[in-house]
Formats: sequence, C-alpha cells, structure tokens
Amino acid sequence: MERKYTVGSGLLFLLIAGVIGYFIGLGIDALIMKSVRWTAPVPSAFALLFAFTAFFFGVYGYRGITRGLVYQVVWTLIGGFIVTGIRAARGLSVFSGFFFTEPAWVFGALAGAVAFLFGVGVMDDWVKWARGIDTPEHHEDEPGWEKYLGVSLDHKVIGIQYTITALFLIAVGGTFALIFRTELAASGLQFLNVDMSLFGQNGPQLYNTLMSLHGMIMIVSILLGISGIINYAVPLLLGAQDMAFPRLNAFAYWVSVPASVLLLMSLVLGGFDTGWTGYPPLSAKAPVGQQMFFLGVFVAGWSSILGALNVIATVLRMRARGMTSMRLPIFVWASIATSIIALTATQLIGLSFQLVMFQRLFGMGFFDPAKGGNPVLFQHLFWFYSHPAVYVFVLPGLGVISELLPVFVRKPLFGYRWVAMSSLGIALVGFLVWAHHMFASGMNEYLRVPFMYSTLLVAVPTGVKFFSWVATIWNGKISTPTPMLFVLGAIVVFLMGGLSGPPNATVSVDLHLHDTYFIVGHFHDTIFGGFVFPFFAAIYYWFPKATGRRMNEFWGKVHFWLMTPSFLILTFGMMRVGLLGMRRRIADYDPALGFDFTHLILTICAFAIALSVLIFIVNLFHSIKHGEKAEGNVWNSRSPEWQVPSPMPSHNYEQPFEVVGEPYDYGLPGSKYVEFIPARGGKH
Amino acid sequence: MRHFVVVGILVVAVAVLTYLGLHTVGLMPVPASAQAGPIDWLWDLQIKAMTFLFALIVVPMVYSLFVFRRRKGDTSDAEHIEGNTTLEIVWTIIPLFMVLGMAYIGAENLAETRRVDPDAMVVRVTGYQWGWTFDYPDYGITSNELYLPVNRQALLKMESRDVIHSFWVPEFRVKQDLVPGRVTELRITPTLIGDTYKVRCAEICGTSHAYMEAPVIVVEKVAFEAWVAEQQALASEAGQTPEGRGLALVTANGCRACHSIDGSGGVGPTWFQLAGSEVPLSGGGTVVADDAFLKESILQPQAKIVAGFEAQQMPAYNFTDEQVADIIAYIKTLK
Amino acid sequence: MAHTQNKRSMLNQGVFIFVYLAVLTVLEFLVALSFNSTAVLVAVALVKGALVVYYYMHIYKLNAEHEGDHHSYEYKSGTNRVGLWLFLVSDSFVFGGLLVMRMNLLGLTRPHLDQTLGLFVTAILLISSFFMNRGETMIANGDRRGFLANTLITFLLGLGFLIGVVFVEWPNAIHEGIKPDNGPAGAAFFMMTGMHAFHVFTGLIFLAIVWFNGRRGLYDEKHYPVEAAAVYWHFVDVVWIVFYPALYLVGTAIV
Ligand code: HEA
Ligand code: HEA
Ligand code: HEC
Ligand code: CUA
Ligand SMILES: [Cu+2]
Repeated sequence: MERKYTVGSGLLFLLIAGVIGYFIGLGIDALIMKSVRWTAPVPSAFALLFAFTAFFFGVYGYRGITRGLVYQVVWTLIGGFIVTGIRAARGLSVFSGFFFTEPAWVFGALAGAVAFLFGVGVMDDWVKWARGIDTPEHHEDEPGWEKYLGVSLDHKVIGIQYTITALFLIAVGGTFALIFRTELAASGLQFLNVDMSLFGQNGPQLYNTLMSLHGMIMIVSILLGISGIINYAVPLLLGAQDMAFPRLNAFAYWVSVPASVLLLMSLVLGGFDTGWTGYPPLSAKAPVGQQMFFLGVFVAGWSSILGALNVIATVLRMRARGMTSMRLPIFVWASIATSIIALTATQLIGLSFQLVMFQRLFGMGFFDPAKGGNPVLFQHLFWFYSHPAVYVFVLPGLGVISELLPVFVRKPLFGYRWVAMSSLGIALVGFLVWAHHMFASGMNEYLRVPFMYSTLLVAVPTGVKFFSWVATIWNGKISTPTPMLFVLGAIVVFLMGGLSGPPNATVSVDLHLHDTYFIVGHFHDTIFGGFVFPFFAAIYYWFPKATGRRMNEFWGKVHFWLMTPSFLILTFGMMRVGLLGMRRRIADYDPALGFDFTHLILTICAFAIALSVLIFIVNLFHSIKHGEKAEGNVWNSRSPEWQVPSPMPSHNYEQPFEVVGEPYDYGLPGSKYVEFIPARGGKH
Repeated sequence: MRHFVVVGILVVAVAVLTYLGLHTVGLMPVPASAQAGPIDWLWDLQIKAMTFLFALIVVPMVYSLFVFRRRKGDTSDAEHIEGNTTLEIVWTIIPLFMVLGMAYIGAENLAETRRVDPDAMVVRVTGYQWGWTFDYPDYGITSNELYLPVNRQALLKMESRDVIHSFWVPEFRVKQDLVPGRVTELRITPTLIGDTYKVRCAEICGTSHAYMEAPVIVVEKVAFEAWVAEQQALASEAGQTPEGRGLALVTANGCRACHSIDGSGGVGPTWFQLAGSEVPLSGGGTVVADDAFLKESILQPQAKIVAGFEAQQMPAYNFTDEQVADIIAYIKTLK
Repeated sequence: MAHTQNKRSMLNQGVFIFVYLAVLTVLEFLVALSFNSTAVLVAVALVKGALVVYYYMHIYKLNAEHEGDHHSYEYKSGTNRVGLWLFLVSDSFVFGGLLVMRMNLLGLTRPHLDQTLGLFVTAILLISSFFMNRGETMIANGDRRGFLANTLITFLLGLGFLIGVVFVEWPNAIHEGIKPDNGPAGAAFFMMTGMHAFHVFTGLIFLAIVWFNGRRGLYDEKHYPVEAAAVYWHFVDVVWIVFYPALYLVGTAIV
C-alpha cells in the first residue's frame, strides 16, 4: 500500500463526490420525472451516499468500510431495480415522487444492508466455515489507526469502533437538535416554515422528521455507546482474552453501520412525522422515509441483540479462575442485567415495526381499524421493548458510577451485593411496567392501576443504588479528577430524572403530564444522568488504558463545568414549560402561553452543551497523540486491567490471573483483588 | 456524630427551602376543572416528597465533597467499610412503603377524577387532521368551538377520523387519546369561567399537529343556553339556502382546519376567490376551478394536485351530489 | 451426556419420544374436535414442547463442561451451546409477540383452515424432528453414512413442510377468502406462518450446509455444527407445536 491516506484527502474526496453524486442524482431524477427538481430526495440521497463513501475511500482506500458502503449503494440500487422490474412486468406503477416505489425502496434498502456486511468482510470467515474451510482463531490487525476502519476481531478495537460511531451519531443527532431548537427559540415558524421545501418536505414536516430522527439516532447512539464501553471493559475485567464469539462481536458492530445509513436515508426520502415511537395509523400513512426508519431500527436492533448475547455468554464462560459471582466487578453485573433485557425485549420493537412495514407493503391490517386491526396493540408491543430499553440505556451507566466511585473515594463500594442485585431487580421489574406510557391511550381501563403499582416499584431498587452511593462517598477520601466529576454529575442529574418519574407513574397526575415537555425533561435527565455523563466518565477513565495517554484535565473540567449547569437549566426549563402547557413534538407554540423567553434560554443552553461536547471531541482526538503519557496505574485502581502497563497488548493479559480477594477492598492493608499466575513458559 | 447532625439539619433546610421556592413560583396553570383539584393536590404531595428525597441524597453528597475531600499530600485510603445490612434493609423497606402508599393514594385520586355525574351533558368530539368538531346531540348543534356551561359535568365521547389525536386542555388537566375505530370517554367539570382555554392536541398527528387547537369557552348556564339558542337559529336559517347548508357541512367536516377562507396560507390552498380562478397544478399545467374541478377535488383529492401542496394530505370525502353542490355554493360566496 | 449412553439406547429413546409426540398430537386433534378446551390444548402443547426441548434438544447439556481448559474443543462447544440457546431465547420472543398479536386480534376465534392439511404438515414436521435426532445420534457415534441418510430425509421432509405451507396452504386459504389484506384472521395467519416458514427456510440452509460438509468428511471428532443445526431444527419444530393449535385448533372457526 504505497499511497498515503489522510483525513485531508478524505475530505477532498467527500466534497467532490458529494457534488458529482448530487448531479448524477439530479440527472436520473430529471430523466424519469421529466422535470428538474433541485431539492428532490434523489439528488440529495446520491450526494449523501457518494460523499460518505468517498470520504472513507480517501482515508482508507477500497477495502473495509469503503467496500461495504460501495456494496450497500450498489445493492440498494440493484434491489430497487429488481423490484421495479417485477412491478413493471406485472403492470404496477414503476416510479414515484421518491424515484423508486415504496416496495422497491424497502427491498433495495434491505439488500443494501446485507450487501454491506459482505462488502466489509465480516461474513468472510462464516462463509468459509459453511464451505467447510477452517480459519485461524485470530486475525492479526494492522498496526495504527487504520485497523479501526476495517473488520477486526479484537474486542478492544470493536469497543473503540462502537464508541467512535456512538460519538458520531451523538454529533449528528445533536446537530438535528440544534436545528430544531433554533426553530423553537421563538414562537411562530422561523425558518422551518410552510414555504420552504427540502427533501420533499415542507418546514413543519421537516421539523417532525428532524425531531423524530433526533430521538432515534440518539437512542441508537446510546445502544452503541454502551456496547462500546461493555465491549472494551468487560473482557478486561473478567481476565478474558476476548469475547466469547469474536466474529459475532464484529458482526454486531458492523450491522450498526448500514443501520445508521438507513436512518439517515429516511431524512432524505421524504422523512416521517411520528416521533421515535412510530405509532400507527400515522406511521402507516407517512412517506417512504418511515420505512427507512423502521428498517434502520430493525437492523440496529440486531446489533443490540447479538451484542447482548455475546456479553452474557462471555460472562458465563470466560471468567478468570476464582471469579465467583460475588467477586465480579460491579460493572459486569450491570452489563448482564442490561444484556438480559436487550437480548429478549429488543425482538418486540423489531416485530412491532415489522408489522407496520407489512401493513404498508401488503395491506395486512394489524393496526388498521378499518380491517379489524387494533392501533393500541402496536403500543403494547412497542413499549414492551421500549420501556425496558430505557433501563438498557442506564444500567451500564449506573454500573460505571458504581465501578468508579470506590476508586476515587478510596473506600469499598457500600453494600456490593445489594448494588449488584438491584441491577437485576431493575431489569426484571422493568419488564412489567410498559403500559405506563399508555395511561391516556384508551387501553383497557383496569390495566392502569396495576401498572402504576409496578412502575412505582422500580423506585425501590434504584433507591438502593443511590443510598449505597451516598454511603460510599460518606467519610471517604475524595479526589475529583474529570472522570469523578462526571460520576458526581451523573448522580445528581439521574436523581433529578428519577425523581420526576413517580409523578408520571401516578395515573391521574400523568394525565396532565403525558406528552408534554415535562416528560421531555424527565427523560433527558434520566438519559444524561444514566448514560451521557457516565459515558463521558468512562471515556475519561479508560482512555489511558486504550492509548497510554491521558486526556487533558483542564479541558475536561471546562467540558464538565460548561455542560452541567447548561444541561440542568435546559431540563428544568423543559419541565417548567411542560407543566404550564407546552406539548411535545410541536414545531410552533401558541405565543399566548408566554413561553418565548424560556424557550430562548433553552436554545442558548442547547448551544452551550453542544460547545462543551465539541470541546470534548477535540480534546479526545488531540490527546491520542499529544496527551500526557500515562502508562501505569493512573487512578491507583485495584481493577485487573490497571495492574498491567497501558496501552493494553492486543491479546490482553500476557499472564492469566486468578482472583484472590474482593474487588473493592480499598483501605484494607495487604489485600489484593487479583494475582497473576506466573507463566509456565511458551504461549498458550 | 456531629457530621450527621449538621447534615440532618441541612437536609431539612434545603428540602423546605426548595419546596417553598417552587411553591411560590407556582408550577401548574390555573386549575379550571373539578378534576384539577385532586390532581394538583397529589402533585403537591409528590413535590414535597421529591424535594425531600432530592435533598436527602444531594446534601450528604455535596457535604462529603467538601468535608471529606482528599487533603494535599494524603495518599492513604479511607476507612474500610464494606456495608451494613441493617441500613440496606431500612432503605429498601421505607421506600417500598412510600411507593406502595403513593400507588394507593394514586388509585384513589384517579377514581376521584373519574367520578360520574349522571346529569352530565354529552358532547361528541371528533378529531381529524388537523381540527376539532364538537357535536351537542342534546341540542342538535355542531360547532368548531367547545362551549361549556360552568359547574356542569361534560361527558366527552371522542372519535378520530384518521390517526390518533389527544384531547387536552391544560387548565382542565386530564387528557385522553382519540383512537380511530373506537370511542373513548373523558369527563370534565369546568369550574372557572373563561374564554382563553384551548383544546391542544397532545399526540403527534402529522404536519400541522402544532396547530390542532380549538377554543374552549366556559360560560354561565344562562349564557350557554343563549349560545345554544343562537346556534340553533343559525343552523335552521342556514338550512334554507345551499350556501348555508354548505357552511354547515364545512364546519362539521372540519375543512377549515386546512383551508382558509380569507386568503391566508395553510395546509391546503385557500378558498378565497377560488371559484372560477385559474389553478396551477403540480407537474405543470393549469385548470380552471369550475364546478367539475371543485367536485373532483372534494371527492377524489388525489386526482389533480394543486401546485405547491402535498398529495396524500387531503382525505377523500363521501358526499352526495347534493352536498357537494352545497359546499361549492358556499365556496362561491368567498369573494 | 452424549457419550455415557450407547448408540442403541439413544436411538430407542428417540423412537419413544416420537411415539409420545404422535399420540399427543392425535389427542390434541381429538380434543379440538370434541370439547375444544383451550386449557387442555395449551397443556398438551406445553408437554409436547417440553419433550422436544428435553430429549431432542437436550437442554441439560447446557450444564456440562463448566470447568477445564478454556481452549479445548469441548469447552468451546459448551460456550457455543450457551450462545445458541441464548439466541433461541431471544427468537422465541418474536414468536411470543406473534401469539400475543393473534390473541389480541382474534381472541377465541380462528381462521377457517383446511384441517387435514394442517394435521398433515404438522405430522411431516414432527417426523422430520425424529429423523434429525437419529442423524445427530449417528454422527455422535461415528456413523457417517447413517448421519447423511437421516439428515437428507430430514431435509426433504422439511422441504415438504415448507411446500405444504407456502404452496398449498396459502393458495388454499386465499381461495377460501382468507387473504393477508382483508381482515385480522388473514393478517395473523399469514404473518405467523410466514415468520415460521422463514425460520424453516433458514433451518433448511443449515441442514444443507452440515450435510455437504458431512459428505466432505468433516465432523469426525468435531461434530458440534451438526448438533447446532439439529437444535435449531427442533426449535423450529417447537414453535410449530405451539402455532399449530393456535392457528388450527383453539377456539371457533370464523369464515
Ligand atoms: C434512561 C431512561 C429512563 C429512566 C431510567 C426512566 C426512569 C423512570 N421513568 Fe421514564 N421515560 C424515559 C426514560 C427513562 N425513564 C423516556 C425516554 C420516556 C419517554 C418516552 C417517550 O414517550 O418518548 C419516559 C417516560 C416515562 C413515563 C411515561 C410518561 C408519559 O408519556 O406519560 C413514565 C410514567 O410512568 C415514566 C416513569 C419512570 C419511572 C417511575 C422511572 C423510575 O425508574 C425512576 C426511579 C428512580 C427514582 C425514583 C429516584 C431514586 C430513588 C430514590 C431516591 C428512592 C426513593 C424514591 C421514592 C420513594 C419515590 N417515564
Ligand atoms: C441520547 C439521548 C438524547 C440526547 C443526548 C439528547 C440531547 C438533546 N436533546 Fe433530545 N430527545 C431525545 C434523546 C436525546 N436528546 C429523545 C429520545 C427525544 C424524543 C423524540 C420524540 O419525541 O420522538 C428527544 C426530544 C427532544 C426535544 C423535544 C422535541 C419535541 O418534542 O418537539 C428537545 C427539545 O428541546 C430536545 C432537545 C435536546 C437538546 C437541546 C439536546 C442537547 O444535549 C444536544 C447537544 C448537542 C450535541 C450533543 C451535539 C454536539 C456536537 C457537535 C455540534 C459536533 C459538531 C459536529 C461534528 C463534529 C460532525 N430533545
Ligand atoms: C388534511 C387537510 C385537508 C382537509 C381536512 C381538507 N382538505 Fe381540501 N385540500 C387539501 C390539500 C393539501 C389540497 C391541495 C392538494 C390537492 O389538490 O389534493 C386540497 C385541495 C382542495 C380543493 C382544491 C382547491 C384548489 O385550490 O384547487 C378543494 C375544492 C378542497 N380541497 C375542498 C375541501 C373540502 C370541501 C374539505 C372538507 C370537506 C376539505 N377540502 C378538507 C387539504 C385538506
Ligand atoms: Cu392531532 Cu396532534
Ligand atoms: Cu417507561
């Protein structure tokens, strides 16, 4: 490989290919629609896909992710044309305002997603196995950063791939939020007005698309983010060489890439206006973008399911000697609890979306009252996943809090068993509460009170965690480097979110709160407290392990002190206007309500948060090369991964270890958690 | 021990101050229905509990950050305390009883907001993209505004014509979705006279969800009866002429949710000066808005799409030829 | 434990289980014809499912091989087994969701389907499980020819089932007026059988793969792939054991 690839050349390629793609799309569109439509979906879609692919071509060449994307684009078109051909042969309509007809888009998109996987190369080994050919257990990765753009089986590489993808999606989803927050800064329609038209949508509709995509892209980014942390940390904490199924692990990561592309395609293919929840009958009527959204979530769901499967198998089968269940690092317990939910419940969101897709494609009337269907059934299927999912989001984050607190407080985790079991408790009770999203939905009346009881019960195990954290902190010797700041921030913010939960859970009060900005405030608090803050904490904490360098402390603190107050004001403000009558998911609000000033403040806070995240991203990439060297046990932790020098060697521990004590016995002189078993010579 | 006393005092102080602060600011809009009473009462109770719990956790945490912070140069670990089972049980059991109590109160509270008044006045509410129509079966009138007599329970029987909507008047608190294919019910007893309330659709229902609002006017019994009489008179008068009947149909079907009658914009093209004008079509060409075109536009909206507007937005309607003629007669009056 | 029993007793066990299953299926059919008790039908389906899960899918093997060298084939097969079962747990939530959908939309009514055909395809799938069990037992005991023959039979029966459902039952139902797009009964019927047929189809692919690789001489010592294909195949059978009464037997038929 002689050519030198750089980010610079990638960006150049991106620009050129974007423009070329746009005009090719414009030409095709004009040819078929017989009029030049500058803002039509097809040119934008081509521009997007071309630019994306060319960027990776510029930085990486034609292999790995680039090849995957090319395959995806080509097969989307092939798939689309196949269906279009069949339709033409059967005398059905052939093209629509969105170029392909809906069935053609759906089939093409699915074919494209599958083709991506073959193109990128995650299927290679499995194809060989199916043909009866053995493959080596490990493939050596190429050195340097380039390994991150192709298939790697190393859980640390995959963890970092997940993390970077999650950050990318947070930036995309956050940018969408900034766009629609700007629209909300004052009442009336500012720039998303009825006269504008983009991607086949007018302003208010584009608002709905951006808002809905913000929700789902952020949720996917959470799922990828937790997978990132879990993938990186869990095998290290267990003393395993890798995950139980390294190929499945790579597969689970790589399906999330075409899934993200599909989600972005829904923006340009007419969008959709249902919010992330996609309730029919509205979702049965929305443009093709809705189908791309459903497909994207469906494919991303597989990432979540297979990742969770791998985590559970790894914990069950790959632990170091002596690591009994009550000596597992607490983060591992959280990962198991999360994975149990993700493994099982995720199927239901896939199914519910699939049923709407089929309703649209084949006219099957599952949720269509005119055909004997039941719209409320969808909500039950959907929330059976999507409520437990919120605990998927937060349990790993709460695990990070419990894992890091003892390190920075220099005291054992207070009530280890209780904290461990409370994760399982939350996960299990979480399965029984879904209908609290449906108190006003017109479901059977008698279900409301039992679901109120079950929902409120979740407060009990969550409370155990909070009280145990406080007891851990109490009387400790507390230091507050950046990761610890984010841990503390997480506790406060999550507490705000958690405590705004019980009012929603009591039916009568929820009849007022439902579908208002109070709910929006509630879940931004829980999600930031339970995921975003701990995610940042985890990155700051494990960054030295991955790179051998530290992230800049000063900018880390700036990040924290800019983000936390802005965020608290943001969600307080949301709750306030929500109580006073601000509905969710509206592009414009009644000026008579007098919310203009509050909304302006909220928008400013949103930009402050974005700035802080930008600072973080710059700090992250800058520190990879220029951070202060940190190869030892930076945080003076007892955890096994910190007992060996950083960065971690590619096959993890050179010598296996044995667990000889409790994980968090800070302050007990002479105690040890793990002991390395002297090598018996030769490699195993 | 001293630490515990100080923290205890601080927790109480912070909780009380926070609660008082929130209470002074006021969190809810004015309560204007009998249902708002119990809900606001329970909400207030919850705010008390939540401020206390918030203080209970955050105050000791912040206190520790200051008092137990690591001094410069100290590299030793803190005291080795693994946990305390009694404490864990305590902070499992107490919240358990708290939430059970809250759920019990919540159930009672819910029952109170649903108390049935046998004399309730029935109003049939129809939601559609993107407007509301209110029928008063007892009086045989139809309106796009919700008039309610004060202190008399209204039983809303709600239906949706297309997608899910949700009936919500913030001052009345309670909320209920309208689900296509079934009738959902909500009981509201307005207690405060006023004309600034609005029904605000609370479930996303497409492009103009934000604008799916309708005025709610709560008046004295006498004023309500006067309004009813007036509406009845108008209706019977209107029934005499085609354009009058057309207006009634337009009201009942909520056409004006999308079509303005004064030339202003909207989801659909305005009807102002529509009849006889030249209408540009999407995909090129124009058509003269004669009776045939108007009829087609109403019965098969997808047949010709007006330039600059979305296909698929306007639902197809099933009117008799006579009804269509009435509507067209009404549209022709808009000059 | 695979190797503590000898081949003959394992094959005999397969026969016994198959007889139980056959008897229960007939019983179920008669119950539906005579007094149609939903509770009894559910109970019978559960018993049948449990028999398959225990004896054909030998779920107890999950307990084995927790200790030992993490790099041995045995230990890795144990891990693979855990992974496969986790996948099946996950997958059963899809089918559970479909059952919920069916109960919600149809309650105690069911589409008016061809009973003979239903019983016939059910029988084919049960018989295929029997042969699958034999095939797996054979390869575990080093009998490659037996394995190949039995797997081939399984494959053909599976193909027969698929054809029966998709190319006979579907047109048949459409002919009777049960269409995907004309009511809840059709929607539920096509969705449930379609999703199941898709799983049968993937199962056939796995069977084909192990059959070809078996013919090429693999699986002398390392025969976990055969076990995996077999367990998956039986899982698809278990799903049908539940779907069959749900679609054909429970409740009263509506036209
Ligand atoms: C990360 C995610 C997350 C988490 C952890 C939670 C946690 C909780 N949520 Fe939240 N929720 C969401 C994300 C989350 N939620 C989202 C995204 C939505 C909106 C979805 C949509 O419509 O788009 C939502 C909506 C939502 C609703 C529906 C509102 C509506 O639309 O009408 C309800 C109703 O019951 C609810 C309740 C709760 C409760 C009771 C908890 C509990 O788990 C909280 C438990 C924690 C505490 C209570 C604090 C600590 C405990 C103590 C200090 C002990 C003592 C406490 C007591 C005695 C009370 N949530
Ligand atoms: C992880 C979850 C997550 C996160 C992090 C956020 C973050 C934010 N959210 Fe969102 N939000 C949701 C999940 C999340 N949200 C969900 C699920 C919904 C419900 C959707 C629905 O109703 O269907 C929602 C809805 C929602 C609404 C309600 C919309 C409506 O009902 O109409 C609002 C309104 O203010 C909002 C605001 C914000 C803001 C200001 C941020 C800010 O924190 C964003 C800050 C900005 C960034 C984090 C980006 C910064 C980075 C850059 C600028 C980098 C520059 C770019 C490159 C380098 C490429 N969100
Ligand atoms: C959901 C929104 C919506 C509702 C409700 C609605 N319309 Fe429309 N209407 C539209 C849109 C959008 C168009 C333009 C696109 C088209 O031609 O289909 C339109 C076009 C028309 C036209 C052609 C107008 C022109 O300028 O050429 C007529 C006439 C019309 N509608 C009548 C009605 C009547 C009568 C009703 C009620 C019974 C009604 N509409 C209800 C959205 C709506
Ligand atoms: Cu109707 Cu929103
Ligand atoms: Cu929930």
